[in-house]
Amino acid sequence: MVGVKKKAFGKVLVANRGEIAVRVIRACREMGIRTVAVYSEADACSLHVGLADEALPIGPAPAAESYLDMGRIIESAKSAGAEAVHPGYGFLAENADFAALCEKEGIVFVGPNSRALALVGDKVRARQTMEKAGIPTIPGMKSVSRSPEEFRAAARRLGYPVMVKASAGGGGKGMRIVRDEEGLVPAVEAGMREAKSAFGDDSVYLEKYIEEPRHVEFQVLADNFGGTVHLFERECSIQRRHQKILEETPSTALDPGLRAEMGETAVRAMRAAGYNNAGTVEFLLDRNRRFYFLEVNARLQVEHPITELVVGVDLVRQQILAASGEKLALRQEDLGQRGHAIECRIYAEDPKANFLPSPGRIVLLREPKGPGVRFDSGIFEGWDVPVHYDPILAKLIVWAEDREAACRRMSAALEDCVILGIRTTAGFLRDVVNHPEFRAGRTTTAFIEKNLGSWRTGWEEDERQRLALAAAALEALSRPGGRAPSPGRAAGAETATPWTALGRWRAGGGGPDGV
Amino acid sequence: MEFEFLIDGAPRRISLDEREGTLRFSEGESVVEASVRRVSGSELRVSHGGRTFRVHLVRDGSRTFVSVDGREFTIVTAPAETARPRDGEERTPEGSLRVKAPMPGKVIKLGVREGERVRRNQTLVIVEAMKMENEIQTSIDGVVRKVHVSVGDVVDADRILAEIEPKET
Repeated sequence: MVGVKKKAFGKVLVANRGEIAVRVIRACREMGIRTVAVYSEADACSLHVGLADEALPIGPAPAAESYLDMGRIIESAKSAGAEAVHPGYGFLAENADFAALCEKEGIVFVGPNSRALALVGDKVRARQTMEKAGIPTIPGMKSVSRSPEEFRAAARRLGYPVMVKASAGGGGKGMRIVRDEEGLVPAVEAGMREAKSAFGDDSVYLEKYIEEPRHVEFQVLADNFGGTVHLFERECSIQRRHQKILEETPSTALDPGLRAEMGETAVRAMRAAGYNNAGTVEFLLDRNRRFYFLEVNARLQVEHPITELVVGVDLVRQQILAASGEKLALRQEDLGQRGHAIECRIYAEDPKANFLPSPGRIVLLREPKGPGVRFDSGIFEGWDVPVHYDPILAKLIVWAEDREAACRRMSAALEDCVILGIRTTAGFLRDVVNHPEFRAGRTTTAFIEKNLGSWRTGWEEDERQRLALAAAALEALSRPGGRAPSPGRAAGAETATPWTALGRWRAGGGGPDGV
Repeated sequence: MEFEFLIDGAPRRISLDEREGTLRFSEGESVVEASVRRVSGSELRVSHGGRTFRVHLVRDGSRTFVSVDGREFTIVTAPAETARPRDGEERTPEGSLRVKAPMPGKVIKLGVREGERVRRNQTLVIVEAMKMENEIQTSIDGVVRKVHVSVGDVVDADRILAEIEPKET
């Protein structure tokens, strides 16, 4: 049948931006599917726009007026003649109204059916469904509320600390830990505001907060006919502000018995929800190796590549095949894990200034390369990182034969990664990977706070800082007029060693320090 | 030759000279020697202490961005007397603290009113950028003399948000 097999779709609209839009467009290209990108005014020059076969503008920069505008996206799909919409993650990916609108308009939504999406997307209803199916859950409020009194009563019943969570949530948005009654109402309000701005829905609820758990999730794939398999776990315990920053698989916390039990539970959870397409079941694993259902991420995950590398399955391709009505060709007994993969999320944030967002122009980019190194990004040199969207710039993913080798490979790849012009978290991530506690596999959601909470760069930084100053001085000398002008002062006419003269110095030429 | 730089906001006074094909970098008592090869307009290799470092460097306006084996720095040329304090802190001629936006974003909440007493680390303004709420706080005890922004304002980096007159509590 090779060469004559019917294409899944003729044309797919990718309703997203950044690295995930690029990832989906690449998968479509490889499958012979034409792609339609959509973009806001802030993204006219973005990478995904150039990679797609066609691109349509969908409005101004704020997401609410562009990437979240369902009518506009459906209209774009129709005008371009796309049979399917891939939502990526974030934006409309877990919006059941959008999935239902696609169904109504006869456009295939590459994701779960709208009923399953509505069910698992509403965390409170999802919990109820899971409890009925006999799946362990964390104690929490049975419904959302707007009444401070109800929140206070629920918090007292659960016992502090409690966690404020957004009903429509994901990615840490709207989440707050509350340790006493005084902090409860401000946290609920802040959670509601953040949830409103991120998801357009300000419903929040409370859950008992489990101290220092591990975050272990299972990837699931399901076709439209009830065929469901899991593709093992990803450990995502390394988080800042409840946002994952590093993920790995396999998890050091699981043995084959626990892995099989959690995997079976994940499949059972998805069946209970009537779920199809790709999805992830998140669990918290406590110190006593008890696990609790946390939520279903009804989409392709940011961290999906580590599963792809260790299980050897292209998840985006599988999503598209399942959405087009193909039966799952994967059988659980044929799936296994091979080697170890780690992903680092490189954000436009300044780790030296309490991780403040750092939008701006990327003036220089050198992507890491080498065996087992994958760099999924939506960035390029000269691009302005907009202020309107998530700060994720790129995902650096490595695969190696075992965990230690993967850690070393990641550390080296982060060292090779050069992004200048804006601040990024690459240096911080390298300190995570090289931390003895991380190397020992002692990873919990409290890891960053405990081990790198007051992150200060060490001796390695001091040495490099001196070299950076030396390089800046050399650069200043090389400019026309010699020395760099000070602000508010004209350039001096001092003579200087020209930059161009550097060529005559020998690399590694023996200095007095025995270089 | 002498240079005065701010590296990631911290002032440094260094001197750099070339001697017999080597760079001689000194800062106070400490002296470092290294050899350098220019690879391209934006890349150098610097050999020092038994290893070679890859240095990438780009200038953008007044700022020079430097990466040394994966560690990134922002350097500006500035004489020490005009060195700005770190973290956007600055004083008015009357001695009030000017609290500035550390990055561009949108004001989504004001935590204080003019005339209100505030304590150190109290949140003055919440600025949203890249979908995260960032609480901008005062580093001193005092009284809010002026709030320069309103909810919904889009602010650039370094825009003055509020002024705090120092007062013991």
